[in-house]
Amino acid sequence: MSLGLLLIVAFGGSLLTYLLGKVSARIRDAFAVLISLAVVVMVASLYGKALRVPFYEGFLGMPLVLRVDGLSWLFAIVASVLGCLSVVFSLGYMKGKERTSFYYSMLLLVSAAMLGVVLSGDLLSLFIFWEIMSWSTFLLISYNGGPALAAGMKYFVMSFVGSLAMLAGVVTLHGSFGTLEFTGVAAGMSSASPGYVLAILVLFGVAFGTKNAIWPFHAWLPPAHSEAPSPFSAVLSGVLIKMGVYGFLLLMFVIVGLRTFLSLGVGRIEFHTVLSIIGAITILLPTFIAIFQNDAKRLLAWSTVAQAGYIILGISFGTSLSVAGGMFHFLNHAVFKALLFMVVGAVEYRTNGVRDLDSLGGLIKRMPVTFIVAVIGVCGLIGVPLTNGFVSKWLIYKTLILERSPFLAFAALFGTWGTILYSYKFLHNIFLGQLPQRYEDMERAPFTMLLPMTILSVVVVLFGVLPGIPLAVIDTIGVSFGFESLHVTPWGIASDTGALNTVNMLVAALVGLVVVWCIFRSGARSVSVGQADSYAAGAAVPRDKYQYSVRFYAPLRRMMAPYLKDLVDSFYMRLAGWVRGLGDGLRRIYTGYVGDYVMYILVFLAVLIFVQIAWSPW
Amino acid sequence: MVSPVLLLAVPLGLALCVPLVGKVSRRAAGFVPVIATLLNLVLSIRLLPTVLEEPIVANLGGFPPPFAITLFAGPVGMLLSALIALAGLVVSLYALSYIKTGPTVRYHTLYMLLLVGATGVVLTGDVFNLFVFFEILCISSYALVAYVGDRAGIEASVKYLIQGALGSALLLIGIGLLYGLFGTLNMADIAARMGSADPVPVFVAMALIVVGLGVEAAIFPLNAWLPDAHSSAPSSISAILSGIAIQVGLYAVVRMVFTVFGASSMLLFFVFMGLLTLLIGELCAFAQSNIKRMLAYSSIGQIGLIIFAVAIATTDSVTGGLFQMVSHTLGKALLFLAVGYMVYRSGSMEISSLEGMGRRMPLTSFAFTIGAFSLVGLPPFVGFPSKLLIVRSALVGQEVLLQVLIGLVLLATVVEGAYFFRVIQAVYFKKGEGQEARQDAPPMALFSMFVFVVLIVVIGVYPNLITDVLESGASELLERANYIGSVLG
Repeated sequence: MSLGLLLIVAFGGSLLTYLLGKVSARIRDAFAVLISLAVVVMVASLYGKALRVPFYEGFLGMPLVLRVDGLSWLFAIVASVLGCLSVVFSLGYMKGKERTSFYYSMLLLVSAAMLGVVLSGDLLSLFIFWEIMSWSTFLLISYNGGPALAAGMKYFVMSFVGSLAMLAGVVTLHGSFGTLEFTGVAAGMSSASPGYVLAILVLFGVAFGTKNAIWPFHAWLPPAHSEAPSPFSAVLSGVLIKMGVYGFLLLMFVIVGLRTFLSLGVGRIEFHTVLSIIGAITILLPTFIAIFQNDAKRLLAWSTVAQAGYIILGISFGTSLSVAGGMFHFLNHAVFKALLFMVVGAVEYRTNGVRDLDSLGGLIKRMPVTFIVAVIGVCGLIGVPLTNGFVSKWLIYKTLILERSPFLAFAALFGTWGTILYSYKFLHNIFLGQLPQRYEDMERAPFTMLLPMTILSVVVVLFGVLPGIPLAVIDTIGVSFGFESLHVTPWGIASDTGALNTVNMLVAALVGLVVVWCIFRSGARSVSVGQADSYAAGAAVPRDKYQYSVRFYAPLRRMMAPYLKDLVDSFYMRLAGWVRGLGDGLRRIYTGYVGDYVMYILVFLAVLIFVQIAWSPW
Repeated sequence: MVSPVLLLAVPLGLALCVPLVGKVSRRAAGFVPVIATLLNLVLSIRLLPTVLEEPIVANLGGFPPPFAITLFAGPVGMLLSALIALAGLVVSLYALSYIKTGPTVRYHTLYMLLLVGATGVVLTGDVFNLFVFFEILCISSYALVAYVGDRAGIEASVKYLIQGALGSALLLIGIGLLYGLFGTLNMADIAARMGSADPVPVFVAMALIVVGLGVEAAIFPLNAWLPDAHSSAPSSISAILSGIAIQVGLYAVVRMVFTVFGASSMLLFFVFMGLLTLLIGELCAFAQSNIKRMLAYSSIGQIGLIIFAVAIATTDSVTGGLFQMVSHTLGKALLFLAVGYMVYRSGSMEISSLEGMGRRMPLTSFAFTIGAFSLVGLPPFVGFPSKLLIVRSALVGQEVLLQVLIGLVLLATVVEGAYFFRVIQAVYFKKGEGQEARQDAPPMALFSMFVFVVLIVVIGVYPNLITDVLESGASELLERANYIGSVLG
């Protein structure tokens, strides 16, 4: 299977989807699903292959190359599968909305561009696909109008700053080594001076860090994720921002190389330590901001920032366990965060766009399946054993403890504690508690929504019980980076410092369940208590007067709120205001009075001649 | 072999025929520019391969140079004349439906004179001839800016006239000084004798000429006429003024500084002037709420970028600068054409009045979006390879100064992206006041816009189509001795 064909199908499919939309909405929907499925199949068939396909001779003297290897395959499969599920989810979600053809074609375009990014074999094509990805994402984020416009703008400006930094890096590399292919650049980098490597890492780091929303480049993410259409939020959070992770992995371990990367630094400050501390900050701050969000999607968005921190912490720590943990956490996060965004999407769809956590509640009765998948997703997010999040977090904790980094380990554990708090808030405020009267007649989520959610929740459990399946892939990538192998077994890893065996856990959990069930069976019979009784101790509560989910965690909030200001964001906003003010000020040079303009011309001429006669610099 | 003289003679003759044709049918008058520019385009493209091998030097009047009036058709000249003819052709097609009211016959005459002037400036090899064609270009644009006849247009036109006339006067004094110093007006001849003259008067002449031409070339701080003029002119004229006229002015500056004066010590100064022009243009554009003024300021910014690139004066950077000229012509002309009908339909130039245009004028909005993406420099559009070349040429030498400056250039690009994307959001994602029925631009106007759209995408994907021409253009500008040699023999 040629890589060129894959990209032609992906990009061409996006264009054709738009054109078909002019003919018939049904054909277009079917076609969009078909194309995204075809892309999944084509990507899957590339498994285990290592190809290199030059596809463009000399773009301004720089040849463009596509390639596939283990690393790019992992990201490609996640991008294509999530893209496909999100298209299926959109079938229901987008029904009756306007400009749907545009929406579908952009959704497919974003997926295609992501495939392009991970399949690029040289930095210029990476940059080109990266930019296409950025502007198509901008269009999708802005799609909803209203507050989404500001969110889209913030995203675009920040990501554009990042990609221009990347452009500077790409061009510098081309100037130094005369090639942009990864292998060629890697060969050149091995003999480059440390200062040069560090400069390149920083330039690219700005680009990848912005996309991955690590602190202090995270400011665009919360508004963008919460204002985008929900199926796209799933893609955005699940895989698009992970293009930054891909970039980091590529840069650190393929281009710069493991050994150089770990020894890089200024004086005693090591680069990779700085990066892992940034990862830890990215875990802590956003986790606690997430706890106090009242918008379901914004809560998940802040949680995404925090989880991205785990990934960065894992891969920048730079041991075989931690990098595997980071990569695995990327995969897991893609699965459960996409799932949770879809849950919010389904709720939004049935409640006509309500995602305010203060006004929902009790939906478990109306959307039982959605509730179950939400619980599974939340368990994955927290890292409850037997879900996928447990294994990846375990790998990261274990490294941090083994390598004696108590502060980083504390940050990671503390982050998980916060994760439990906001995850519970999320579950409780949407699904538990009283059902408001206006949702009495709500229907279940439609099949096109349940299907992708169910698939994702099965994956959460599957990867939790049999983590060996993805870990085998991840391990080969790790080996190709130059790490030692993890000795993966289907149910975990075998290592000297304590094996991980999820099947034992499964058995223990099942036995425990049976024991508990037996004890409760043998006890007194349960009495069913009305919901109002359990809340109000039997007093009659007028319905919809009291909402028990309002002001969740208020005491904690009183305690912590003063410390949780997003200073970075307000700094950016001030900077933007300052640029606007500067523009406004400069505009006054053009006074509108022609006498002034003539003065400018004559003064400029006079100064030129005067300077030359006085000092003759030219 | 066809002579490049035809590129000037035919349109000039046809321009004077327009009033006659107009007597017969006012509608037919509009087709004369179409025919003339089509002829020029075909001729320029036919001549391009020839001039890539060796520049054509045509001597008028039968005398040998330096006594004859020389036309010099090198790669740069042919590239720009092809570009002028292309933009002229597309805009004249657009004007067929856009220019309906007012003195249309006079419009078409002046429009053709403007193009003749522009073509003459890029082809001439004679300093005084340069002045004459420059005046033809300027005078016809003063008149065309006031074409609509409203107060804003006339005010802008008079302001433009005052500043332009001042510039022309300075230019003429500078040329007079040169003649006094060297006794010749042939560019190559002056260039050959440059070393023998006293540096101070030569510098004064250069300053006068650079400032004089700089007014039209929109170099800061000589560009104050531009936002008024470009925003008050009819949009088809704005497209030509922004896409062609200021770049022709810039070409004249570059030709004088590089070839005639060979002032390599001034280049660093021009790098800074370019950067300053870029920053001020982009920041002012960011603060605008009037769409046409925003585009006009954005042109200032783009001109600054071109000056910056050309003044670095390596083969790569001049290639990038010329490429940026091409991409700016395509992108900015497209934007003005698209905005022309949007403004016509909404009745206001405020950005807020463009809300909901994505629904009302989908194809026009699409064309606008492509133009904006290209100008910002996003792949796969033509602005990307040109900006890439400029950045590459600035970073390749690994000079710290240029690294810092290119950082500022990239920041200006971010500002540029911000204001263009703000408009795109308004066009597509804000709901307009009343939901009006779909009412796109007329077919001929759409056709002309999509010519640009196709070119933007095609050259953006295959930049190698034109890089040969650009590179030999760059070496023509940089290698002064070859120029002198090919004219004087």
